[in-house]
Amino acid sequence: MSFRRYFLGRIFERAYRGTRIGYTAVSVWLRYKFPRWWDAYRGRDPDERDMTQVHQRNADQIYATAVSLRGMMVKMCQVIGTRSDIFPPQYVKTLSQCHDALPPRDIDTIRSVIEEDFARPIAEIFTDIEPTPIAAASLAQVHGATLTDGRKVAVKVQYPDIEHIIRTDLTVSRRVAAIYSRFDRNPMDFLPLLDELQRHLRMELDFRREVESAERIRELFKNDPTVVIPSIYPEYSTRRVITMEYVRGVKVNDKKALETAGVQMQGYMTRLMRIFNRMILAYGFFHADPHPGNILVNPDADGRPVFTLLDFGLAKQLPEGFGLGIFELMFSMMTFNETAMLRAFDELGFETQTGEKETYLAIARRMISRSESGTFQGEFTEEMTDGMFDAIRENPVVTVPTDFVLVARAFALLSGIAHSLDQRANALDALGPG
Amino acid sequence: MADQHELDDEIRLDALEFTYDELLAEDPYEEPLFASGVRCHGGYVDGAYVSPRGRVRRPAIANWQQRLRDAGEPLVYVPGRYLPPTYPNYAQAKFLLKEGVTEPITRSLTIISIIEGFGARIRDVPVPDLRKEILEDIAGTALAHLDGGLFEAHARDEAGHRDQGGHKQMWESARDIGLAKPHIPGDVLMRLMTGSSGRGRGERLFPDLSERLEMLITTMANVLVVETFAENTFTWAQQLLGDPEVSADAEAANHMVTCIASDEVPHVDYLTAAISELRARTLISEDGRKELRGKEVVDAIFSRQLRGMATRRPQENRERFREEIHQAIDNKARASMIARRFEDLDSGWTFPHGDDEELDILLETA
Repeated sequence: MSFRRYFLGRIFERAYRGTRIGYTAVSVWLRYKFPRWWDAYRGRDPDERDMTQVHQRNADQIYATAVSLRGMMVKMCQVIGTRSDIFPPQYVKTLSQCHDALPPRDIDTIRSVIEEDFARPIAEIFTDIEPTPIAAASLAQVHGATLTDGRKVAVKVQYPDIEHIIRTDLTVSRRVAAIYSRFDRNPMDFLPLLDELQRHLRMELDFRREVESAERIRELFKNDPTVVIPSIYPEYSTRRVITMEYVRGVKVNDKKALETAGVQMQGYMTRLMRIFNRMILAYGFFHADPHPGNILVNPDADGRPVFTLLDFGLAKQLPEGFGLGIFELMFSMMTFNETAMLRAFDELGFETQTGEKETYLAIARRMISRSESGTFQGEFTEEMTDGMFDAIRENPVVTVPTDFVLVARAFALLSGIAHSLDQRANALDALGPG
Repeated sequence: MADQHELDDEIRLDALEFTYDELLAEDPYEEPLFASGVRCHGGYVDGAYVSPRGRVRRPAIANWQQRLRDAGEPLVYVPGRYLPPTYPNYAQAKFLLKEGVTEPITRSLTIISIIEGFGARIRDVPVPDLRKEILEDIAGTALAHLDGGLFEAHARDEAGHRDQGGHKQMWESARDIGLAKPHIPGDVLMRLMTGSSGRGRGERLFPDLSERLEMLITTMANVLVVETFAENTFTWAQQLLGDPEVSADAEAANHMVTCIASDEVPHVDYLTAAISELRARTLISEDGRKELRGKEVVDAIFSRQLRGMATRRPQENRERFREEIHQAIDNKARASMIARRFEDLDSGWTFPHGDDEELDILLETA
């Protein structure tokens, strides 16, 4: 490709992406503004209007744009899909679907990345690489392959243009956010969201970091036969390629397949929760994306489940004492103890506008009322976290720590797995030794 | 709820039946208890600490125990010689604090507070319909009041309730007062999640009984042993945190632990009463066709729990804790000297064998 063609292609792509993102942003904004202007004109209170349908239409449009443009847009949707403390449920529900499989790139594109990174023909590294990927996501896709020494491996390969796409999208999104804030009298501040997104992407785009994360978690579980972290082959890994042991297994929430494989289901979720408790509550470094595609299961000799954890792109270091703070919060919820709950909110880094404790108390009471009705028994269900975030949205809480959102989401994902198996993901029950 | 006068009358009449609210009734405190600024349960009457929810519960438990004695039934108990000593012992712990090795003690006190808090889960223990599963009448017994206020009162004592702290917060306060708000290690929960639990290993001893009934007896026996073992921990904490040489506020820290210790007395007492009542009765199998002697069932379950808890578990805990302490000592400048002196102060402990016949259930004669 000539430099001129490449350069023009980039400009065209930037213009195209900028236009699509801008068009979506303006459409979303107008869908909110028109009804307000109309209501103001007719002398009605705009805040009285039910915006459920508008939220849904906007979420649908953003989702369609993301699936079409992929790259950062998909990531942004994934972040929004986890922030039920900020966004209405229609957004969270619709945009969290971006976790599902995306259309893959062709194998030639993938080959070119491998050859570029290793600076040698692919045949010198792999004797074969399966053309159909095992999984495709927003930043990379995974293929089965065989090393020249005959070992069967899984190769995760980053899309070649993804860094450029993300840079473009971030620039465009920041500009759109700046323009929006000039036009809107009470603008919502999107910059923290974009900053968070940028942090996530920086972490995820450097695969060497993912390799380090996997090694840390492997070290934590080195004496635990219930956990497998696939071996990574550093000599066959780069900043954009990870080559790891190929592990087969049953998807963690596939009840029928688990039963067929002879996996013992009694205490199944307790064992899985114990793994995440160790990472989150005790160790302070955890796999923050336990969606069902990232956990495989095999039975051991006695039929007990052995869990294989995959994809450490979103592994997260928690601040010192954060796990204990989460434990204190769960514990106070379980025991209806408002005083302890207020202290836990404070220790976790929640902040209110006025600094008054009344806000926390309102949230605490709302959560506790769910506990008494039997909703909370040591389990952060999606309903539970949604309820908490509803309460946070309705109260003047300024800061919800990102780490808390990630932990709550991880527990909610585990709860989802549990419910698809007719079990419960009770973190407190799983606190003892295994 | 009945007023003070009515309650006193009932208790003077040796009443054996109480409502849920009565068993949770509070004494008329003149002053509440505060622990490190947190309002806790219980309070002061005439300057003396009075445990929470004891206005009716205290005499009620005494009446149920007296009824057993009157009937010539023995009360179960755990003899002192099976109580594993706290590790590290007082002299060792004091030495560590003097040498600036604070972390293991902080860790230990934090774990105690967490385990105490978990005591609140007793309210989640499902209580079967005992009138159907016990042949004899259970009216006027502690058994009949387990889910009628006794478990709930126990749970609230341990973890606090609403705007009042419980033993969890009181232990944290004793730690913070005595050790001047020490840094809490971030991985403090790790110890709870390592080692063997013994959970899930105990096969059912009496499959003819309903699972709920067997689980209830096992849980009560388990909690009774834990509560009895805690007596040594209280003595240890009172000595250590009450020692002005190493405690930032010996008097206040010691007082906090003393309050907790006095709150635990009704737990041991009501569990003793309930287990002893079960022992004196006849249990009915789930299918209703068999009758099992309560003595046989309770003794077998109680012995098994005692065997596990007096032997393997404290031994494993001691070994694990010893390792942690030595790791903490290794970070100090005079590590080898501290380690040697620490070991010299160990008073040792011969763990009873798990198959020791003497570990069978022990009864206080009526």
